[in-house]
Amino acid sequence: MDSRTFTRIAHEASFHDAGHGFDVFGLHPPALASVVAYSAPLYERYFRVESSGIEHVPADGPAIVVANHGGTLPIDAGMLCLDLLRRTDPPRIPRAIADRFVPRLPIISTLFARFGVVAGTSANVRRLLADGELIVIWPEGVSGMAKRFRDRYRLQDWNVGFAEHAIRHRAPVIPAAVLGPEESWPLAGKLRRFHAFGAPYLPLPATPLPLPAHYRIVYGPPIRFGALPADADDPAIIGEAADLVRRAVQQLLDDARDARRGIFR
Amino acid sequence: MRVMVTGATTPLGAAIVDRLLVSADVDHVLAIGREREAPAVPGKIAYRHVDLTHARAVHDLVWGQARDLGVGIVIHASQHRRARDVGRSVHDQNVGSTRDLLAACCDHPTITRFVYRSFGEVYAPRHGTAELLDEQAPLDFDPSAPQWIRDRVEADSIVCAAASTRLEVAVLRCAEILAPGVGSQMWDYLTSRVCLRPLGYDPMINVLSVEDAAAAFAAAVGSPAVGVFNIPGYDTLPLSRAIDDAGRAQLPVPGPLMAPLYKLRRQLAGFEFRYELNERRFHFGGVLDGTRARTELGYVPRVPVEWPCSWWRTLLLRLGRLRAEEQT
Repeated sequence: MDSRTFTRIAHEASFHDAGHGFDVFGLHPPALASVVAYSAPLYERYFRVESSGIEHVPADGPAIVVANHGGTLPIDAGMLCLDLLRRTDPPRIPRAIADRFVPRLPIISTLFARFGVVAGTSANVRRLLADGELIVIWPEGVSGMAKRFRDRYRLQDWNVGFAEHAIRHRAPVIPAAVLGPEESWPLAGKLRRFHAFGAPYLPLPATPLPLPAHYRIVYGPPIRFGALPADADDPAIIGEAADLVRRAVQQLLDDARDARRGIFR
Repeated sequence: MRVMVTGATTPLGAAIVDRLLVSADVDHVLAIGREREAPAVPGKIAYRHVDLTHARAVHDLVWGQARDLGVGIVIHASQHRRARDVGRSVHDQNVGSTRDLLAACCDHPTITRFVYRSFGEVYAPRHGTAELLDEQAPLDFDPSAPQWIRDRVEADSIVCAAASTRLEVAVLRCAEILAPGVGSQMWDYLTSRVCLRPLGYDPMINVLSVEDAAAAFAAAVGSPAVGVFNIPGYDTLPLSRAIDDAGRAQLPVPGPLMAPLYKLRRQLAGFEFRYELNERRFHFGGVLDGTRARTELGYVPRVPVEWPCSWWRTLLLRLGRLRAEEQT
């Protein structure tokens, strides 16, 4: 285990301790630090994550990182959160917003809570932003992961809730593009009748394990909406703001695809 | 001001009365309890034994002694505590007494404020709801819910509906008070040597001390704020950590086995803990968001709970505390 990484995250990262070393959502920095330290080989050697533009992520205050989603399981989400944790200085704990069925999953729900993942409800997001946290949202949700291989890196259905929160809390939105997950673990099919624990489907991966595709993460310049918090109830303004971010993420993805030399290189 | 407190002989009621008695703003306390003998509390207090399940007795109390004393604020903190009991008499105590008391207070010449002790258990935490429950979180209107929950939701709704009257109504939805004698499910759960836990789930829980609960009621008495307020406790932690802090062993078992195992325990050993009352909480957690109570009532939890430890662990803790006090 990388002890320096562990110490940095377990002791230097700030969080809202509710009194017993956990925050109200269940985040436990030592548990998060352990998984970050143990997953270093995966991040550094297997997926060889490269990122640029981390300077666009503010050092403090509420902020929303908005990224694309893809692959059979949310490995892209894990790599993005790892990258944010490792490259921000002082380290900021990203609060990943998960789909609402996640708290029903045994074991996973508990582990995710300890790592800072929060269920995607409006009340949760509101509280996190009010506390000045850095949240990470995948507005495509499950549809991003369920898309066909030929649609890779084409943004799917785009939820707009994040734009409302960004306007209401005057939080900057940092568009992010993650390249690699679609080729690393493509989806071969779905069992749509499988809904155990509220899951939308059972994914069938094309390969038994994820392939070592080269991950590239690009953070774009922050987008600050000019709208006032009072405008956060206007559907037209929210839709426009969400679309602006969508176009920014798509542009980052297209640029990153054009610039890469190969999937595994 | 003059305050009437129902349920004054319960641990919570007694703590509220004690808190009010030391307050400079309170001239007199009218304490209402079911016990015939008055508790030995000196000072500006009158005690009266009243069975609140009788509508006439409630009416006579409010329009008799309370009016004569010039009571301005009523704190209704009297609920049936034993989770095992069900039936009409329990319903009368939880819901009927609340309805009667509220009806008697509505057009009263001196009573202007009604503070009601409600419960965090009225919420229905489930997947899809927030981990942090604010005052707008969905209530548990499930008709198949146990009477213990249905009664509390019904009483809470009755009091909330009275917000449209001229009475100032404050509903304090308290997190579970972890103390003996207050009807705490978690206390009973943690007194067991081995605590069963649903396999794969370790939800966040929040528990409240009697002292903090009393402080919240005192804050509600002294404030003009009306509406619903969540009252969280100082301790927010995972269930597994709570079991550790109580010095108990924990055994994760598959969720479907929890209810029958605890039912068996209840029948064999006579414990109060009912898993069906706690099932959602043990899977999805649900911590009360106390932002509104903090901003409008000025309530901030400060006192950690005392965990229901075994006698030797309690002794060790007290010895440690004594030693620390001696050193300081």
